[in-house]
Amino acid sequence: MVMNNPLQKALDKAGIEYQPTEFPNSGLHCSLVLDKEQVQPLARALSRNGFFIETVTAVDKLKDEIFECVYLFNHYEESLRLLVRVSLPRNGAVQPSIGKIFPGAVWHERETTEMFGIRFEGCLDSRNLLLPEDADFHPLCKDFSGVS
Amino acid sequence: MNRAVQPTYTLDKVSEENFALNLGPQHPGTHGVLRVVLHMDGEYILQADPVLGYGHRMQEKIAENMTYPQALPYVCRMDYLGALSYNLAWVLAVEKLCQFEVPERAEKIRVITTELNRISSHLLWWGAFLLDLGGFTPFLQALTDRELILDLLEEVTGSRLTYCYYRFGGLPSDVDDTWFTRVMEFIEGFRLRLPRYHDLVTGNVIFYHRAKDVGVILPFDAAGYGLSGPILRGSGIGFDVRRHEPYSGYERYNFEVPVDETGDCLGRYNVRMMEIEQSLNIVEQAIGSITEGPVRSKVPKLIKPPEGEVAMAVETPRGQLVIYIVSDGTKKPYRVKYRVPSFANLSIFAKLARGQLLADALAILGSMDMVIPEVDR
Repeated sequence: MVMNNPLQKALDKAGIEYQPTEFPNSGLHCSLVLDKEQVQPLARALSRNGFFIETVTAVDKLKDEIFECVYLFNHYEESLRLLVRVSLPRNGAVQPSIGKIFPGAVWHERETTEMFGIRFEGCLDSRNLLLPEDADFHPLCKDFSGVS
Repeated sequence: MNRAVQPTYTLDKVSEENFALNLGPQHPGTHGVLRVVLHMDGEYILQADPVLGYGHRMQEKIAENMTYPQALPYVCRMDYLGALSYNLAWVLAVEKLCQFEVPERAEKIRVITTELNRISSHLLWWGAFLLDLGGFTPFLQALTDRELILDLLEEVTGSRLTYCYYRFGGLPSDVDDTWFTRVMEFIEGFRLRLPRYHDLVTGNVIFYHRAKDVGVILPFDAAGYGLSGPILRGSGIGFDVRRHEPYSGYERYNFEVPVDETGDCLGRYNVRMMEIEQSLNIVEQAIGSITEGPVRSKVPKLIKPPEGEVAMAVETPRGQLVIYIVSDGTKKPYRVKYRVPSFANLSIFAKLARGQLLADALAILGSMDMVIPEVDR
């Protein structure tokens, strides 16, 4: 197999199949659906191949009773935006942290934790970031209806 | 000696002089409502802990509760110094989602106005950074030139700061030819005044010693923290979305991506000063090649994108902004995520401030060009 780009190299290292999507229409070079155990090895492989972290966030799929944890990575040399999606149960969602691999992920994970209630296991800092420090509600959940 | 490799202070020198110092949330050096809790040993910082959220408005939830056109003016309230880049990112994201066409004249006017906005943002940064370092005159000089840009932009957009000028499929109104002439006159005059900026500050020995070798960011750290914009380019990585993932026809223009290898405050300063000149070149090229034509294509009155998702990246004055929209086929977005550059850029501050003098930490913060409402969203 010919290795023609860093993303292919990184995915190969993590044992994940490489399938590019139509880049101009979605802005995503590659979109993956992974299990939560695969995220840390993939992040490690991406970090070694010069990728940087764009963001960590989530999408609340209330109808399917799941959270989709979304990661965006990109490369500084060529445009290889990678979107990684991990499905988590809506109750007690736990996701391994990649904060030790990408230090910048810590703030993104803190934001996702306070906004959705997804806990990041092994995250170096789990305090609220944007919300008040005693806030225990998760405003970006679709069933959030305000605080009294 | 490289301070990034050998910190000027290590934690084992802890003495009885330790105390906590609260910087902000109302402090001129933090450029907005940012609070930093500093653990100090005398004048040296042991640990810096930024406390965010004073300007948090839940922009993402606001956008999810609105139709696509309704959310348009809100987007520009995040980065008030580079509002047009945000405006552009939102319309481009929706245009990509709905596959709307944009006429060439509209694209060029978008580029001209965004680049003028970038220059005005860099000018304010230039003044404010020097103000942080204790020089007052540069601020007045920068604001004089910035005022000229604001006048030009006010004429076409109708506002002076939180511009909302672009629409899905183009622009709401055309620009008359005399405006282009006045922009060219401004560029000509500004090119003559630019050497004064360098005479006043760039070669100044006090400035040089305040900025040289302070707050060095290594390229490896830059990738780990996801930095972008002039901060990243000041560390020797030439990543610019305009070159990397061209939008609005940036591939048509001949411009350079300025890079400085040093990674310190002076490097970031040099990159921004060179960027101003590149932006002037882009504006000149866009005006030189502009042709007559429509400025708005036909788009449906009701914006209802198909089901799907889109990630749109735009180079704002502070770095890479990504707007990620998940559409469920209704007239409101299902999920909006703003990946803002300042948020990622500020996350490295705690690492940089460690072991530095308090005055140097303020220089670092000033060189990072923070817009706090953008960080807090």
